[in-house]
Amino acid sequence: MTEPLPAALVRQLRSTVGDDHVITDPNRLLVYESDGLSAYRVRPRAVVLPASTEEVAEVVRVLHAAEIEIVPRGAGTGLSGGALPTPDGVVVGTARMNRVLEIDARDRIARVQPGVVNARLTDATRPHGLYYAPDPSSQSTCTLGGNVAENSGGPHCLKYGVTTRYVTGLTVVLAGGEVVRLGGAGREVADGLDLVGLFVGSEGCFGIATEIEVRLLPLAEGVRTLLGIFDTMEAAGHAVTSIIASGLMPAAVEIVDKATIRAVEASVFAAGYPTDAGAALVIEFDGTEEGLDADADRAEACCLAAGAREVRRARSEEERLGLWKGRKKAFGAMGRIAPDLLVQDATVPRTRLPEVLAKITEIGVRYDLQIANVFHAGDGNLHPNLLFDRADPDQMARVEAASHEIMSLCVDVGGTITGEHGVGVDKRGYMTLVHNEVELDMLRRVRRVFDAEGLFNPGKVIPDEEIDAVAGVGAS
Amino acid sequence: MESLATILPASAMAEEPKDMPDADLPGSRRPDAVVRPGATEDVAALMEWATREGVGVLPIGSGRRAHPVRGDGRFVVLRTDGLAGLETYEAADLTLSAGAGTPFGTVAAALAENAQWAPFDPPRIDQRSLGGLVANGLSGPLHMGYGELRNHVLGLTVVTGDGRTLRLGGRVVKNVAGFDLLKAVVGSRGSLAIITSVVLRAFPVPPVDRTLYVEGATVGELLKHALEVGTAPVLPASSVIVDALAAAGGRPALVVRLHGAEATVAADQRRLEEHVGLTFRVDSGVDHAGVRDHASLGDVLLAASARPSRLGAVLDALDALTPTALSVDSYGGRVRAASAVPTGEVIDSVRSRIEDVGGALRLFAPSMDGRAAELSTRPRPGEQALVEGLRSAFDPGGVLWPARF
Ligand SMILES: Cc1cc2nc3c(=O)[nH]c(=O)nc-3n(C[C@H](O)[C@H](O)[C@H](O)COP(=O)(O)OP(=O)(O)OC[C@H]3O[C@@H](n4cnc5c(N)ncnc54)[C@H](O)[C@@H]3O)c2cc1C
Repeated sequence: MTEPLPAALVRQLRSTVGDDHVITDPNRLLVYESDGLSAYRVRPRAVVLPASTEEVAEVVRVLHAAEIEIVPRGAGTGLSGGALPTPDGVVVGTARMNRVLEIDARDRIARVQPGVVNARLTDATRPHGLYYAPDPSSQSTCTLGGNVAENSGGPHCLKYGVTTRYVTGLTVVLAGGEVVRLGGAGREVADGLDLVGLFVGSEGCFGIATEIEVRLLPLAEGVRTLLGIFDTMEAAGHAVTSIIASGLMPAAVEIVDKATIRAVEASVFAAGYPTDAGAALVIEFDGTEEGLDADADRAEACCLAAGAREVRRARSEEERLGLWKGRKKAFGAMGRIAPDLLVQDATVPRTRLPEVLAKITEIGVRYDLQIANVFHAGDGNLHPNLLFDRADPDQMARVEAASHEIMSLCVDVGGTITGEHGVGVDKRGYMTLVHNEVELDMLRRVRRVFDAEGLFNPGKVIPDEEIDAVAGVGAS
Repeated sequence: MESLATILPASAMAEEPKDMPDADLPGSRRPDAVVRPGATEDVAALMEWATREGVGVLPIGSGRRAHPVRGDGRFVVLRTDGLAGLETYEAADLTLSAGAGTPFGTVAAALAENAQWAPFDPPRIDQRSLGGLVANGLSGPLHMGYGELRNHVLGLTVVTGDGRTLRLGGRVVKNVAGFDLLKAVVGSRGSLAIITSVVLRAFPVPPVDRTLYVEGATVGELLKHALEVGTAPVLPASSVIVDALAAAGGRPALVVRLHGAEATVAADQRRLEEHVGLTFRVDSGVDHAGVRDHASLGDVLLAASARPSRLGAVLDALDALTPTALSVDSYGGRVRAASAVPTGEVIDSVRSRIEDVGGALRLFAPSMDGRAAELSTRPRPGEQALVEGLRSAFDPGGVLWPARF
């Protein structure tokens, strides 16, 4: 179904980025067929891997002139199909753009290429006593470019905020190959609009970020980590509400439910969580050493008052990693109990967590699906994980129907359809739950300001556009 | 203007334009009408009408810092104080929503009842409307510890220039359902849409709010200390230099706020003093409003920005204006200065010196007519094209940008 690129075009691309960096061999294209949402697969016509802003600009210019769609790609860990190729399109990957360009410890600013892996940035800044705060659970593989495109969060974003808070400037390549610098530390007062804030979260639909400037924070001096064990998810949900309402400012509050605990404990990642528990809560405080114990004591009291059967506290870094293990290894463990996993993502006001979780359980029972919850509870950011087997069309249909109900439920209580994974192709169909036609039209208009012809990542985010991309897609 | 009365309820026809106080529109022509809508639907009807009739609309929240209108086109002043009042307040969720015309003081008072607050402190915040604050987008020095204002705005209801109502964002802290148009509106100063309602994120009031200060002979000398504060292993809530602090007998001082539990704050102070190499005075009597509002009144106000390490050069450049008041938020790389009306040539040279170190300068000076904007740092050409594209996407008839009417 996928048409090969004309030979002349391939030559042109090769002369720009080097022969090895234009991939057209079907075997090598295989790994680019999907992102982390593997139920959707489309083979791109080619993958191009430029190494610099100039090369990206030239590649975009060439593809634009030939009216070929462009799908930007970082590490491909996205969970909404954002980097899913289009059958007529070319993937432009940032894998070779992996240099940290500048670390200014005095101004607490770093400038990086978009292919830099999230955790590598903190590795590079740690010797200066600094770190990059947003920490998606995929941080050892996902890229800063992908984080910018998705406005990614992570466990510690409860206290520190998500990607958009830290991005101060961008260099972007727009349709046609124009290179534009947006913002930059020191330009706060320039007359204009917050184009950096608008570009963050644009899911590859506005252009390709080729340089990213971010603000760094001082490393926290101390940390306290607690693990609360609860008989029921409801009790754990109440503990979350009471911790936040008490005025405490934890760095992270994460929940794993019974299904997840059992999956983890049955796997090679066994973390020592009691398998008869209904839920476990990982709570972390960080900052100045003095005062952390008092915070941890108060959080422990909140857990016990909400009915925790036990609260463990890490006494060493090793113990801390142990308490986190059940949370961090959850996805890996689930992979072992079902062939396929759909990681859902939605946000609700955190006081509605207990009620929403109870209803999600009920939805799972009704559709006879296993749903395991592991999520950023402090932010009300849910990840109900639906376990299934893609080979079974009936299960696929039930996964689809259950997902839709979960999304509607979250929207009905005042939440939204995605908190951090983005809309991509997966959530396009749910966009009408949160936006009316006037708002969707406005998203289209704004997208056209950046990309008049819609060549960047077509078929993503906004429903009802010309969607070649989804033709022949496995999941829906 | 007669047709206006047919699309708006009588209650929204505010007053005769001639009765509008001069102070509300400094340096400006009188409007052709003044309206005071009480609901988003009225705003939508007004904007649709304005685009159809080609009439400019100038939103005014508190009245301060409105753009003077200079052209000769017809225009209407839209007072947002009819859109006032708290809408929802979920204390346990730490979210609050209110009409855009709600005075910030009303919001702050409601939050205070539950030991919560909104951690931003731009100048004269207590005299501003919530929508005006969001439209201006200024955070104040508390951004150091809490992040910028734009990150505290969870949701907005806005009406575009041609009368389309959009709900941007929502009521939850994490939300990536569609492009982040909210960010474009925050700080757009009325150029994209009329804000009618705001959802804010609230924070628990810290148990201790300790103010430290140190005096210095000059702002330049204090800048060295302030830059050290900015590289300390602890992150204060805010840090700002004013060239005259009342508590310091009118001498220049660096004022630092630490928030947290008692034990944390005491330890943070020690860490800070060790790192900076000096001893602060602790003074709970420092007038925060005075520090916050310093250098925010005058014939000419200048806002300059640059990376922290380049601020010395910015201060040197601003010297040419012999500022009457100066305030420096070094962590944010922001300087505010008040001065007498300078000549265009002086400003040009100050601006280019600041731009040479990668910074930017903006001028607010109603009495300087249109020249204030022209003398300010412009977006780069590539940015400008996007700004114009966004303006026409939000306001196709160009009724919201006073430079055009
Ligand atoms: C195990 C696991 C855990 C995860 N945990 C989290 C989590 O805690 N929080 C969270 O938010 N997400 C999480 N994710 C999702 C994912 O890791 C993030 O969305 C991440 O930001 C994607 O980065 P990436 O480099 O893999 O981007 P990709 O998947 O390659 O691309 C994502 C999107 O970004 C676009 N894009 C990529 N690079 C650029 C660029 N330079 N310019 C413009 N657009 C670009 C693509 O077109 C696509 O739309 C998790 C994923 C997995 C598999």
